Amino acid sequence: MKRFYFLLFVSIFLLIGCGNTNEQSSNSFDEITSQPWSEIEEAADGTTVRLYMWGGDEGINQYLDEWAIPHLKEKYNITLERVPMDTVKILQKLQTEKKANKQDGTIDIIWINGENFKNAKKNNLLAGSFTDKLPNFNKYYQTDDPALTTDFGTPVEGMEAPWGKVQFVFHYDESKIDEPPASFAQLQEWIKSHPGKFTYPNATDFTGNAFLRHVLYAKADQPSDIYNEPLDEEAISGTANKMWGYLNNIEPDLWRSGEHYPNSLTELDKLYSQGEVWMTMGYNEARAESLIEQGVFPETTKSFVMEPGSIGNTHFLSIPFNSPNVKGALTTINYLLSPEAQLAKYKPNYWGENTPISLEKLSEEMRKKFKAVDRGDSVISQQKLEESFLPESEAAYVEWMEEQWFNEVVQE
Amino acid sequence: MSSGWKNSGLMKSSKSKLWFLLAPALVFLILPLYGMFAAVRSSINGNQGLTFTYYVQLFQSERFLSSIAFSVRTSLVATVIAIIIGLIITRLFHTYLDKTTPRLSVWLPMLFPHFVWGYLVILLLAETGLIAQIFLVVGWIDGTGQFPVLTRDPYGLGIIITYVWKEIPFVILMLLPIYSSIPTSYYDLVKTLGGRSWEQFRTVEWPHIQPVLIETFLILFSFTLTAYEVPALLGTTFPEMISVLSYQWFYGGILEERPLAFASMVFVSIVILTLTLAGYFYMNRRRMRAMRGRL
Repeated sequence: MKRFYFLLFVSIFLLIGCGNTNEQSSNSFDEITSQPWSEIEEAADGTTVRLYMWGGDEGINQYLDEWAIPHLKEKYNITLERVPMDTVKILQKLQTEKKANKQDGTIDIIWINGENFKNAKKNNLLAGSFTDKLPNFNKYYQTDDPALTTDFGTPVEGMEAPWGKVQFVFHYDESKIDEPPASFAQLQEWIKSHPGKFTYPNATDFTGNAFLRHVLYAKADQPSDIYNEPLDEEAISGTANKMWGYLNNIEPDLWRSGEHYPNSLTELDKLYSQGEVWMTMGYNEARAESLIEQGVFPETTKSFVMEPGSIGNTHFLSIPFNSPNVKGALTTINYLLSPEAQLAKYKPNYWGENTPISLEKLSEEMRKKFKAVDRGDSVISQQKLEESFLPESEAAYVEWMEEQWFNEVVQE
Repeated sequence: MSSGWKNSGLMKSSKSKLWFLLAPALVFLILPLYGMFAAVRSSINGNQGLTFTYYVQLFQSERFLSSIAFSVRTSLVATVIAIIIGLIITRLFHTYLDKTTPRLSVWLPMLFPHFVWGYLVILLLAETGLIAQIFLVVGWIDGTGQFPVLTRDPYGLGIIITYVWKEIPFVILMLLPIYSSIPTSYYDLVKTLGGRSWEQFRTVEWPHIQPVLIETFLILFSFTLTAYEVPALLGTTFPEMISVLSYQWFYGGILEERPLAFASMVFVSIVILTLTLAGYFYMNRRRMRAMRGRL
C-alpha cells in the first residue's frame, strides 16, 4: 500500500513538474528581433529549422527538398526539415500547445494565408512582427503594396513574410475542347451541352471555395462590391441568391448529376486525368506544367480565365509563438525571399509559381534572368494574367461560403 | 474476537491487492477518460457557464439528423450482413476451419488496415475501376457511365461493401471457438429424436452462440458507427457519416462550430453506451434465469 501511495505522489510531482516550465518571458521575440541582423545569422549557423507546411503538391515538395534544403545547408549550415501537415491541423496543434502553456514548441516556420492567418492572429498563435528586420524583404519588395500588407482583408502588420503569389486559372484539354468558355454564362451553356463533364471540389476544399467565390464575383454588379466590402450577409443576399440560382441550375448537368462533389482538388485532378471530366482548376497559374511533365495531365492541357477575372492572392511564411529556433527561422525566411530562391521557384521545373518580388528593384542581371524564364505552354501570358487579376475578398466570405453552400446547394 | 481480526486483516489485504491489480488499467484509462471528460465539458461550456444550446442546435440541424440516420442505417446493414454471412460460413465450414491452413486463409483479410481495404474497393468497384474496365472489354457495358455507382454513392453502398468484406473474418474468429466446443453428442441427440438441421441450429447452436453474437454485433456496430477513414474515402458529399461531419465541424476553420463536434461525438458515445448496457443486462437476466432453471 505504502508503495502505491509513493508511486502516486511521484507521478503527481512529475505532472506538476512538467507544467512548471513557463517562466520564459513573452517579450523574448522582440528582444531577438532587435538584435543586429549579422548576429541573428551567426546564431542560426548549425541549427535545425522545422518548416510545417501543406504537403499535397509534388512540385512544391521537390522545390524544397531538391533546391531549398541543400542551398540553405550550403549557405548558412542550417538543416531545414519539411514537415507535411494541413495548415488547419498545424493551428490546431499550436492552439493545444497554447492551452497547455507549452513555450517550447516544435514548429519554427508555418506556411500560411487567408482565414488561417486570420484565426492564428486572432488567437495569438504567432510570434509577432518581424518582416521589417528581413534584409531581403526591405531591399527587393514593394513593402507598402496592398497585396503584401493585407492577407484576405486582414492586416499583415509584419507578422508574415510574402513567399509567393498565385492566380486562379482553369485547365482544359485542347484536344477535346476547341474554345473554352469566356464567361460564367458561357460556362453554363457549355455544361448544359456537355452533361457530366464538369464539376468543382467541395466548398470546404480551398480550390472549391475559390471557384464559388468567382461565381459570387461574377453575379455581383462589380467584383469590387465583394472584395472591397466586409461580409454583410443582408447586403449581399441579392447577389448570393443569384449565385445559388446559378449553382443549382448547373447541378443536374455536373459530373454524377451533382450528387457527389470531389472532396479535394486531388480527386478532381484524378477525374480530369482519367478523362471523366474535361476541365479542372486551381490556384497557381503554372500548376499544370509539372503535372504534364509527370504524365498526369495530357500534354494538350491549356489554361484559361473567364470574365470577370481571376482571383489571385499572396501566401506567406510566419513564425509561431513558441518557435524553439527563432533566429534560424528568421534566417531561413530571409533566404527563401531572396532573388535566387524566388527565381528557382519561378522556373517551371519544380514549382513554377509567380513571385511577389519587385522586378524593378532587382539588379539588371537578375531581372534579365527572371524575364528569360519560359514558364511553359500551359501558362497564359503575364499580360493576360495581370489584366484579369482580382483581389481576394475578406476571409469571412470563405467561412460563410463553406457553411451556406451546404444548405443552399447540396441539401436542396 | 481473534477470528474477527483475522477476517478484517484479510479483507484489507485483498482490497489493497485489488488496487494493485487495477492500477495498470487505471493508468491506461487516464487519457481516454480525461478526453471523454474534456469533450463533455467542451460540449456544455457556453460563454456564461453551463449550457445545452449546442445540443439544441444539434437536434435542429437537418444536416446532423440526416447524418445520424444515415450512419445508423449504414452500420446496421453492414453489421447484420457481416454477421449473417460469417455465421453461415462458420456453420458450413467449421470442421475444415479447425485446420490451420484454411483458417489462415479466412483471416488473411484481417491483416490489411481498413483504409487499405477501402482503397481496394475503390480500385475494384469505381466507375473507372478494374471490374468496370473488364465489363467494358467483355462488352457488357458500352461506357464506364453505365457501370453502377458503387463508391462515393448516396446510399453508402461502398462503405457497406468495405465493412462487410472486412468484418466477416472477425465474425468467424468470434464464432469458431464456440462451434468447435459444442460436443457432437448434442447433435446426435437431436438426430436421434428426429430433428433436422433447423432444430439442430435452434436447440443446440443458438443458445451457445447467442451471447457471442450480441457481443460481436455491439463491437462491429459501434466500430462502424464511429469509424472515420472508410467513410471519408468512400462516402459522398451528402449524406455524410457522423464521424466525417464531426471532423468537418472540428477542423472546418469555423471556431464556433467546434462545440458541435464535441456534442455530436458525446451523443454518439451515449448511444453506444446505452446499447452496451442494454445488451449486458439482457445477457445477465438470461444467465440468472438459466441458473434458476427457467431457460
